[in-house]
Amino acid sequence: MPESRSILITGATGLLGRSVLQRLLAADARLRAVVLVRDSSSCASIADTANVHGRVTLVEGDLRSAGLCLTSETLAMIRRQVSAIIHLAASTSFSNTLEDARVVNTTGTLHLLELARECRGFERFAYVSTAFVAGRRTGVITEELASPSAGWVNAYEQSKYEAELFVCREAADWTILRPATVVCDDRNGAVSQLNAVHRALRLYRAGLVAMMPGINGSTLDVVTTEFVADAIARLALRDDARGKIVHLCAGEGALPLGELLDMTYACWARDSEWRRRGIARPPLVDLATYALFERSIEEVGDASIKRLTRSLSHFVPQLALPKVFDTTTARALLGDGAPPVRDFWLPMLQRLFVDGHATLGTPRAA
Amino acid sequence: MSAPGISGIAYALPAHRRDLSELAALGQLESDPSLLAQFGFDGVHVAEEETPYSLATTAATTMLSEQRVPPESIDLLLYCGTSSLAFAPHGGTADAACLLASTRRFQYPATRLQYDLGLERASTIALDQLACTSLFAAVRLARATIAVGEARRVLCVSAEFFPECAGREAIFNCTSDAGCAVLVDGGAQRNRIVASAEITKGYYWDADALRNEIVASYFPTAKHVIDETLRRAGWSPNDVTWVIPHNVSVRSWEILLGLAGVPRARLWDRNVSRIGHTLAGDNFINLRDAIDDGSIRPGDRLLLFSYGYGAHWTALAVEA
Repeated sequence: MPESRSILITGATGLLGRSVLQRLLAADARLRAVVLVRDSSSCASIADTANVHGRVTLVEGDLRSAGLCLTSETLAMIRRQVSAIIHLAASTSFSNTLEDARVVNTTGTLHLLELARECRGFERFAYVSTAFVAGRRTGVITEELASPSAGWVNAYEQSKYEAELFVCREAADWTILRPATVVCDDRNGAVSQLNAVHRALRLYRAGLVAMMPGINGSTLDVVTTEFVADAIARLALRDDARGKIVHLCAGEGALPLGELLDMTYACWARDSEWRRRGIARPPLVDLATYALFERSIEEVGDASIKRLTRSLSHFVPQLALPKVFDTTTARALLGDGAPPVRDFWLPMLQRLFVDGHATLGTPRAA
Repeated sequence: MSAPGISGIAYALPAHRRDLSELAALGQLESDPSLLAQFGFDGVHVAEEETPYSLATTAATTMLSEQRVPPESIDLLLYCGTSSLAFAPHGGTADAACLLASTRRFQYPATRLQYDLGLERASTIALDQLACTSLFAAVRLARATIAVGEARRVLCVSAEFFPECAGREAIFNCTSDAGCAVLVDGGAQRNRIVASAEITKGYYWDADALRNEIVASYFPTAKHVIDETLRRAGWSPNDVTWVIPHNVSVRSWEILLGLAGVPRARLWDRNVSRIGHTLAGDNFINLRDAIDDGSIRPGDRLLLFSYGYGAHWTALAVEA
C-alpha cells in the first residue's frame, strides 16, 4: 500500500469495528484511516482512538444515500487518498423488513462500491458479511458464494447475501469475511454488547422459553470479538486474501445445542434459588411444531409473551437447520482457528448472569 | 395379584348445555368464539339444578351398578372436590360462604357419599387443591394403596364445577361441570396401570400472576412427565396406541404431541367439542367413551396426561 494512502472504514463506532480499527492502526504505523460515521458528536470512542493515533479522520455521511451524503471536499479527499475500504457497518436487527434491511446492508454496500470505483489506485474492498448468508441451507457450508435456493431465516441474512453478490460483481479486488455471531469479548467471557443470543438466554433463565427449534446435529456457532476483530484486521488488506471468502466461525468447535442447553442449565442450577423454581430445560422441536407454537402465541398470548416470542422467532429457526461452517480457508490464512465455544461459554454465562452485570440490549447480529 | 387396574368408569354431566355463541352472549368467554372453535370447542355442560355432590353420586351409583360391584366390597373411598361447594346448587358461592363460617363446614361430602352409597367398609379420604389432576392423584393413590396390601378395591370419585364467577373459559379452554367415578381394583382384568409420573412445581402456585411463565413451562414439563411415564412403562412414543387427553385446546395437544414424538392420529379427541374441559377428570371420561365406541381394544397401550393449576403435571400409562 502506498505510504500516503488511507483506508476508509465503516461501522467503526460499533464494538467490533472499533476493535478492528485499533488493531489496524497498531499494526501499521503508516496507516491512516478515514472513518465514516453518521454523527460525529456521538462518537466519543472513535474520537479517543483518533486522538491516540492521530491518524484518524472522522467524516460524517450516510450509507443509505448515493454519494453517502459526503461533501464534495470530503469526496475528493477520499477519491484521492483511499486505497481500501473495510465495510463493517450494517443494520443488524433480525426483525427488519427486507426493504429496511436492504437500505443499509445491500444498497449501502452498493454505494460504497460506487465510491470505491472512483478512488484512484483503489486496491481492496473488504466486506464484513455474516456466516448466516447460508440461510436455510444445512450440512457443510463452504467458503464460497452461497446459493440462494434454500432461502433465509430473516431479512438480515438475505440482505447480507445480496450485498456479497454486489461485492463479487462490482469490486475488482475483494475479500469477504463472514463471522458467526459474536457473543463475548474474549475467552474470559466479558460481554460488552448484548445481542439476540443474550436475550434468548435471559428468557430461558426467566423461565419464558417453552421450546427451541433444533434437531440432533444442531449446533450453535458463536465467536468472540477478539478473534473476529483480530482476523479482520489481519486479513482485510492481505494480498493472499484477495478473492477469498473466509469463515470467521468456530466451525468444528461449535457446541451441540443439546449440550449447550444442558451446560447452561447446570450453570444456573448451581444457584439454589433459581433451581427451586423448577424452570424446565426447553426441549428441542422440529420447525413445524415450533411454528405451531408461535402461531398459538400470536393468537392467544398477551402482549408481553407475544413480544418475547417474536424476539426469538427471527433467529431461532436457524437452530433447526444444522450446519457446520467449513473454516479451511480461514485456518490456512490465519494459521489457527477460532476458540472452541466450549472454552468461553461458561465464563460468559458466569460474567453475564451470575455476576449480574448484564443489562438488556436490542437484539443485534454479528 | 396382578397389577392394579381400572375396572370401571362412569360420569355424569349436567343436563343443560350451552354452545359457544350462547356462552359469548352471556359474557362467559374471554376469547372470540371462532378462535375457541378452531381449538376444537363447541360448547359446555353447565349445572343449573345439579350440585357437585349430586353429580358425584350419580356417577358413582352408575359405576357401581354397571360393574355390579357390591358397595360393601369397597375398601377405600377417595373423594376429590371442593367440600365447601359440594352441596351448593350450580356450585354457587353464596351458600358456600355461610357454610364455611359455621359448623356446617363439617358436613363433608366424602363421608356423606360413603353413607349414601352404602360403602359400609370403606375408609374415606378427601383430596383437594389438585385442580384438574385430582382424579389422577386419587387413582395413583389407589394404585399405591392396593400395591401395599392396604386395600383391594378403591372407589375414586371427583366432582368439581367451574367457579361461578369465572365465566366458562380458563386459558383458552372451555370448561364443563361434571362428576366422574373410577374404580381401581387389585384384580382388574382390563386397564392395568403400568406406570405413572407426576411433577408439582410450587413456584407456579399463583396462576394469575405467573400466567406467561406457566404457558412457557407447560410444554417442557409436560414432555418431561410423558417421557418419564413412558420410560417407567418401558414404552417408546411409537408404542402408544391412544393418547387419552385432558380436553384442552386441540392445538396445544398438537404441539405437545410434536414434542413427545407421538403421531397426531393417536390423539383420541372426540370429546373436546362435545364436553370440553372438566375439572373433574376429562381423561377418565374420555377413556370410558373411547372404550364404549370401540376405539380401544384389549392390549392397547394408553397414555393419559393432565395438567392442573397449582401447578401439577401428571401422566399414567395404562394397558387396556
